[in-house]
Amino acid sequence: MSRRLRPVVMFCVAMLLVAVLWEGYKAIGPEKGGEILGFGILPRTNDQVMPHVWSMIGGMFDPAQRTGGDTVLQVVLSGAWYSFRIALVGFAVGVAFGMAIAVVLSRFRLAERAVLPYLVISQTVPLIALAPLVAGWGGKLQIGDWVWPRWMSAALLGAFLAFFPVAVGTLRGLKSANPASLELMDSLAASWWRTLITLRFPSAVPYIVPALKLGGAGAVVGVVVAEISIGLKGGIGRLIIEYSRQATSEPTKVFTSIFGAALLGLTMAAIVAGIDALLMRNRPRETTS
Amino acid sequence: MTNQVAAVHAVEIAGLNKIFNAGKSSAVEALVDVDLRIAPGEFVSLIGPSGCGKSTLLRLIANLLEPSSGTVLVNGKPAATARQDQDYGMAFQQSGLFEWRSVVRNIELPLELKGWDKAKRRARALEMLELVKLGDFASHMPWQLSGGMQQRVAIARALAAHPPLLLMDEPFGALDEMTREHMQSELLQICARTSTTVVFVTHSIPEAVYLSNRVVVMSPRPGRITEIIDVDLGGERDEGTREDSAFYGRITAVREALRGVEMTGGARGIEDR
Repeated sequence: MSRRLRPVVMFCVAMLLVAVLWEGYKAIGPEKGGEILGFGILPRTNDQVMPHVWSMIGGMFDPAQRTGGDTVLQVVLSGAWYSFRIALVGFAVGVAFGMAIAVVLSRFRLAERAVLPYLVISQTVPLIALAPLVAGWGGKLQIGDWVWPRWMSAALLGAFLAFFPVAVGTLRGLKSANPASLELMDSLAASWWRTLITLRFPSAVPYIVPALKLGGAGAVVGVVVAEISIGLKGGIGRLIIEYSRQATSEPTKVFTSIFGAALLGLTMAAIVAGIDALLMRNRPRETTS
Repeated sequence: MTNQVAAVHAVEIAGLNKIFNAGKSSAVEALVDVDLRIAPGEFVSLIGPSGCGKSTLLRLIANLLEPSSGTVLVNGKPAATARQDQDYGMAFQQSGLFEWRSVVRNIELPLELKGWDKAKRRARALEMLELVKLGDFASHMPWQLSGGMQQRVAIARALAAHPPLLLMDEPFGALDEMTREHMQSELLQICARTSTTVVFVTHSIPEAVYLSNRVVVMSPRPGRITEIIDVDLGGERDEGTREDSAFYGRITAVREALRGVEMTGGARGIEDR
């Protein structure tokens, strides 16, 4: 088996395994749910809660509205695409901001001690609480003819989750430069800026890559949650809420929207993996991921 | 000889003192009253036990540290000016190669910082690779090379801009004995061909004697120069030199000078091989 094909095959096997487990439990589990030691933790297996895998797949191709038109799958895919673009903007903004902060903090040690605690605290604020605030502030923003579009609030919240791992990872990476290499740059009378570009950033790459993976996932979560919280239409977050309300009449719809969200996350992960491969080419690797 | 004395010294150190953490209770007198003149083309080794300030002295010449008092001139210029002008190249125990750059691009680094254009850089770097006998490895990545080869790349990088002075801090310290002796001979050939002055920090007595015109013996607490031993082995040095009785004679002389150090301060970290 070629090395490129292997992950794809493994992915399909894993998906198949999940489907088998799902159907297996559905076949032997209690119809009305069950109790273990008095706790009602065994989920019900009726078609309402656990539809058959094939009816989920079949449901994807039903029209989304009773009146007909686009299928559920089409609606979900276009929602995921909408959210994906917002998440990408959020990711880009978050990465740029995170790296900029890391550079400033690595330059001024005092700034690191003063600012880093605030960055940590910022991440403890629940996104749900922050989202309406950001949307509210954005709604008041108007510069000339330009009005703050609502999707930018969602992108900003994606950036808010993405920047933190990138900032912390980059900061550690910038400090990881080999002392002998730093002394060498000094002996060559290289400026701080030159040392940053030529030595510190390349040294930071092995720390930045895993931070990007976390940041990419953060951007997706941030955008989806923000869509729900500020009621932004058109994205996958909104569809998940909408379809879960229709779960009694059309139980398979909500699963399609969850697949859409997973696809969105996977696409982001694939983009980061591409960046990883690009940045880490020609580098020694201890492990393959 | 009189002509040489009249010429500008490669390195001229006068009344040099270096105190770390001056004014605090943790103050350490790293170097006290150091005077040293090194002629162009000379190979000088600094040897002494740990804490004798030999690496500090090298870093003061390189202007990576500022002296507490006294002067350091490199090619007749203040050390800071010499650093700005890249008048010296430097090699450390760790090769300090950039693992994301190919071998040839590592060697180009000092030339990049000097603002040379790409074609000129590449031509010089390839020339330096030939000099250290790694002509076939230009596009390899550093981690694909052995420790000895990496150190050769580091030397090629240090010499890329043809600096008149080479500063080396235990560059062969991490290599095995066979590679080490081989590298010593190659270094001598390269320096002879490029007529480079070398200041070489080591804690191996045979290494210092084999390489040097003069061995500077230093002692700790406070760090200072206790003796300077001339090594005249006559003619070219090659692997045969290592079997020579004159070679052993000089090794004994350095060892005795270091024993004197031991009486006063304790000679930790000296390799007697």
